[in-house]
Amino acid sequence: MEGPINRHTSEPAEDHLSFGFPVFLLSESIVFVSFFVTYAILRIKNPHWFPPGVSGLDIPKAAVNTVILVASSIVIHFAERALSRHKLINFRRLWLLTAGMGIIFLIGQAMEWHNMPFGLNAGLAGATFYLLTGFHGLHVLIGVILLLLMYRRSLIPNNYQTGHSGVDAVALFWHFVDVIWIILFFLLYIW
Amino acid sequence: MKPFNIVLLAFFVILIIVTSHWLGQQSYTWLPVPAALEAEPVGDLFSFLVTLGSVIFLGVLGIMLYCLVVYRVAKDDHSDAPAIRGNTKLEITWTIIPIFLVIWITVYSYDIYERMNVLGHLSVVQHHGPLDEPAYAAEPKTLSGPTETIEVIAKQWSWTFHYPNHKVTSSELHLPVNQRVQLKLQSTDVLHGFYVPNFRIKQDIVPNRTIDLSLTPNRIGKYQLEDSQFSGTYFSLMKADVYIDSSEGFKQWLKLMSNQVRKPAKNDAFSEYSQPKQTKFDWPSVTPATPPLVQSSW
Amino acid sequence: MYIEDKNSHQTHWKEYFSFSSDHKVIGVQYLVTAFIFFLIGGLLAMIVRAELLTPQLNIVSRSLYNGLFTMHGTIMIFLWILPANLGLANYLVPLMIGARDMAFPKLNAIAFWQIPVVGILLLLSFFLPSGTAQAGWWSYPPVSIQNPSGQFINGEFVWLLAIAISGVSSIMGGVNFVTTIVQMRAPGMTYFRMPVYVWTVLSAQLLQLFCLPALTGAAIMLLFDLSFGTDFFSPFSNGDPIIYQHLFWFYSHPAVYVMALPAFGVFSEVIPAFARKPLFGYKVVAVSSFIIAIVGTFVWVHHMFASATPNWMRIFFMASTMLVAVPTGLKVFAWVATLWQGKIRLETPMLFCLGGIVMFLFAGITGVMMASAPFDIHVNNTYFVVGHFHYVVFGTVTMAIYGGIYFWFPKITGRMYLESWGKLHFWLSFIGANLNFFPMHPVGLQGMLRRVSSYDPEFTGWNVLASLGAFLLGMSTLPFIANMISSSLRGHKVSNNPWNSTGLEWTIPSPPPVENFEEIPTITTEPYNYGEPSRFSIDSRTI
Repeated sequence: MEGPINRHTSEPAEDHLSFGFPVFLLSESIVFVSFFVTYAILRIKNPHWFPPGVSGLDIPKAAVNTVILVASSIVIHFAERALSRHKLINFRRLWLLTAGMGIIFLIGQAMEWHNMPFGLNAGLAGATFYLLTGFHGLHVLIGVILLLLMYRRSLIPNNYQTGHSGVDAVALFWHFVDVIWIILFFLLYIW
Repeated sequence: MKPFNIVLLAFFVILIIVTSHWLGQQSYTWLPVPAALEAEPVGDLFSFLVTLGSVIFLGVLGIMLYCLVVYRVAKDDHSDAPAIRGNTKLEITWTIIPIFLVIWITVYSYDIYERMNVLGHLSVVQHHGPLDEPAYAAEPKTLSGPTETIEVIAKQWSWTFHYPNHKVTSSELHLPVNQRVQLKLQSTDVLHGFYVPNFRIKQDIVPNRTIDLSLTPNRIGKYQLEDSQFSGTYFSLMKADVYIDSSEGFKQWLKLMSNQVRKPAKNDAFSEYSQPKQTKFDWPSVTPATPPLVQSSW
Repeated sequence: MYIEDKNSHQTHWKEYFSFSSDHKVIGVQYLVTAFIFFLIGGLLAMIVRAELLTPQLNIVSRSLYNGLFTMHGTIMIFLWILPANLGLANYLVPLMIGARDMAFPKLNAIAFWQIPVVGILLLLSFFLPSGTAQAGWWSYPPVSIQNPSGQFINGEFVWLLAIAISGVSSIMGGVNFVTTIVQMRAPGMTYFRMPVYVWTVLSAQLLQLFCLPALTGAAIMLLFDLSFGTDFFSPFSNGDPIIYQHLFWFYSHPAVYVMALPAFGVFSEVIPAFARKPLFGYKVVAVSSFIIAIVGTFVWVHHMFASATPNWMRIFFMASTMLVAVPTGLKVFAWVATLWQGKIRLETPMLFCLGGIVMFLFAGITGVMMASAPFDIHVNNTYFVVGHFHYVVFGTVTMAIYGGIYFWFPKITGRMYLESWGKLHFWLSFIGANLNFFPMHPVGLQGMLRRVSSYDPEFTGWNVLASLGAFLLGMSTLPFIANMISSSLRGHKVSNNPWNSTGLEWTIPSPPPVENFEEIPTITTEPYNYGEPSRFSIDSRTI
């Protein structure tokens, strides 16, 4: 059976995604919370956090990356607004721009990893840094892939006839990834 | 209610109270003989819990059985019973009473936990670490002698006891009766657990941390220490003998030991590990630590 | 009298082996798969109990023994109870709320098909050079990551992988059930017209969604420590093994409510049907499911009373744990009050539920005992705990699952099971379970530790009794298996409502048509309307 045929119920199937996807994101955020809590407890108990010779992380470069990611959230917000006003071409451009900014963020992250003065096995600082940024980066990557998939779908004529819950879900995912990064930035870099 | 029913109910209630009280008294025999001052309040707590638990269990079970007997109908009876959806007074009562009972048990338990901690007999579990709570300052009451400090070293899979003030290292734990003892629990590898059932005290041992555990043994005899936190292949064999000696006996034992040369201790895990593998499903194990060098009387 | 309903639909057996997105097919797939793993997990237990017949080690090696109890626990939790609950829930929830299927039918199928993968991974690990994971189903570091074999692909690695896949499957299920229940109830079915079973499934799935990810996080960090040389939990490198314990139990305590709440839901459906009386205090029973879930999220440290926890933490969690007994007790009182002045029939589903309630009463009392920290410190990690939780997972939850399977068997298959064999199954199970798990309490009080492969000879008597009980339990599955197979093929055909029960699922044919309802009904009455005028409404479109 393909999908529910709802005679006499009010909601079309699309609405399920609008409810279910935020629920999923709330659940997913708890994984990050467990990492954050572990990091915080370990950091508090170990005041000499960084390996010898390292005084801290490269905040300026990470700050640039942060700005790019936060800006991309603003871009995707305008993309959604364009779609709700049926301005399809604007929507697609802004959407693609968001994906591009996501890719820039990932490149920045990769470069940071390449230039890190310590590796995964450099004590707790190494373990937590790479786990957190790696797990987050994985989510950014998934976000970029979803963005591109949605972009491809947007080229289909009349794709948004019955609504655009897929676009909404991916945009929400993108904001989620952004919020996680902001928390991570404060915990890992600023602290 | 009919008079017969009232009598029946009264009989039922009395039976429950008598049985529960009896079970509560019996419960002391279900625990191993207490050998520390801290064990006695736990026995009282257990008896209280058993009595209360029995009342609830027998009471609810009794009502259930009554219903199953009295309200049972034939298999071909498909009629509905009266549509009783609730009874507010009853529901409030059976909410308030459990809340009260639960508060009672909590307060009583807190009291017992405190007594084990504060009354000079057992200080709290003390850790050494920045985030850890300082222990209650326990005032030593009038017990014989100062607190004896003993280091307890747990490793896969042996117990070693070091008496720093007497330069004695043993694979048996000897304790002086009626004297407060402070055990400094340490592990060199994985989590272990210090547990002597007769003391009613248990504490996990965390590697790279010393945890202080204090108690007051009060019954001369031989007991057993077990590793209570699963620690790997030969976990079941990680035991040690515990002797509570008289004050004189304890001093003599220390003197005797300090004159001994240290030899490798007997260790069941090491012996079993050294035997040839029996079957295909005898998977690789962590190598047991070589038996520690101890002074002993063998 | 049986009247064949031309709208009833017999599923072709091949569909059960396919990637079907019909919740009714998926429900049966979950149930049958889970039961197979139940038998496997049970077999592992039989070997454990055979070893424990004597105080000395004489049947298996130490490492195999440790692998056996680790796999037994893991399989029973992640491959029996959780999926079996999902099987019943999958089948029933859409029917009970008047929906045609779940919110995400394809996701539903994907979630199911991960379960056999988890099982196969775990079973294959028996044949690795390192053997299976051997650190208990808790997998506490440092012992769980010692990896004596030195292999990269070792039992613990496979175990963590299996847990991760199981977690993904569970989250998919959680999203699906919560969305379905919130959004797809038939018109007129307000939350306070939902059967309690649906309330319990909703509460359980919310717990899965918001607590399981903590275990996922812990498992990922443990995997990194095991395989990639990090030190999150390594005490000699400034890591902290106690953080693992907190993350583990933050999920694994609510997990017991994920297991128990649907069982309470089954009791809440079966008792009214076989007492022919409305569920006493329905609204309170419904809401108590939520309260148990919420309070139950704040009790986890009671598993760590003997661990490196400070005093204030132990006292706080003692209080919170005691508190959760109250909403739980309310349910038990409600079920008993439902019996009072009812018209009681003791058919198999009812027997299993009554037996389950009695065993739960006992388990609840030993649970409150262990909530008391000073008492728990004595029995923590002894067989007293093992006895307690087996009264829960077998005595309550498994009995409830059996009761539910018997109750809804005619709806699922369109045929009635054999009652006499059902009763035999009940008595063997009830007696076997009590014989197996009661002796664990005295022996635990005396100081016998859990997870030991050899023990002090003074504990022999109780252990022999427990092992005999275990073998009886093993045999009790036989009349069940025979009944299920034989009755699905040749049982008496039944009509819509052989039990004359309330509930939307009983208004449609047995087995239900593919789309469940010809027309989605409009709900105008309270559930469990036994003895009320609305019970026998002629108009089948409004219920």
